[in-house]
Amino acid sequence: MLIQLLTNKYPGMRLWLSQRLSALMMAAYILLLVLLLAIYQPASYSDWHKFVAPIWFRLVTFVFFISLFMHAWLGVSDVFKDYIFNLKLRAYLQAIVDILLVTYLIWASFILWNI
Amino acid sequence: MANQVKFSIYRYNPDTDKKPYMQDYDIALRDEDHMLLDALIRIKEHDETLSMRKSCREGVCGSDAMNINGKNGLACITKLSDLEQPIVLRPMPGLPVIRDLVVDMTQFFEHYNSVKPYLVNNDPLPETERLQSPEDRAKLDGLYECILCGACTTSCPSFWWNPDKFVGPAGLLQANRFIMDSRDQATEERLENLEDPYRLYRCHNIMNCVEVCPKKLNPNAAIANIKDLKIERARETKTVKKEISIKAI
Repeated sequence: MLIQLLTNKYPGMRLWLSQRLSALMMAAYILLLVLLLAIYQPASYSDWHKFVAPIWFRLVTFVFFISLFMHAWLGVSDVFKDYIFNLKLRAYLQAIVDILLVTYLIWASFILWNI
Repeated sequence: MANQVKFSIYRYNPDTDKKPYMQDYDIALRDEDHMLLDALIRIKEHDETLSMRKSCREGVCGSDAMNINGKNGLACITKLSDLEQPIVLRPMPGLPVIRDLVVDMTQFFEHYNSVKPYLVNNDPLPETERLQSPEDRAKLDGLYECILCGACTTSCPSFWWNPDKFVGPAGLLQANRFIMDSRDQATEERLENLEDPYRLYRCHNIMNCVEVCPKKLNPNAAIANIKDLKIERARETKTVKKEISIKAI
């Protein structure tokens, strides 16, 4: 169902729903993180290393970053739709944001897989 | 006993004025002048060039909607005693000014018309009326009361930024009014009609519409309901398709 909702059949709903889903994913990750931090309470470098080293944690964190950048992309696109009426300028600005967000995602994955 | 009240009113006559300006008035009101509209009529006795719309003078026709001390409202049901002086009156924002406090509401009504604000029912006409259960009728409460004054739509920044694309709170409230009507048969088309990223989804829930509605309606809740129904409808479509494919197998 989710995939169908996120396809081209529902362009307006797709964007609106994606924004909410990405926000939910981020909220879930933050809750998980707070819970884990409360349980393990890492204090030293080696504690932190152990904390973030498991593959599952890095994968979940990567999903969080995808959600974060997707949420940011949707939010900025919304702002552009509201305030930038020159379509060429909007396309340029959107391209800059797209490049930045993709760079951030690659950067985040480098950090995550080099722990 | 005369009661002096100060006003600052937006004036613009495109035939004679190069640009709009604010005109100050210091008017002596009578004891029977309780509402803002009474005061405006009193001002017109002194300055008949001031233009505004008015009709029923009891909050039913929606003609005298204007921006009162920075907030949209109806002059006829706004108490003078509730307003700080000088009372600043401007035309409703976001629409072209025809003259003084009179705005061109063509765009507003184009959006209203675009949601087909009438019952679509292809069944043969019954001898009497199309019946509704009390429960179904209750679903229209909070929707049918809209008087189309435009106070909500013209206080919505999403409408200011995209007036040609975003339907606006009043139009969407009316869309929901007919979507929720048990006698209407065009729910699918109505939901489809609001699918592009602008018509419905420009609403960012800032709730200016709820804040200003003189009839105390909640266009924001109506918009949220349409969004929920669209998801529900998409899920139902998926389920039906699945059932059809299972039967085919």
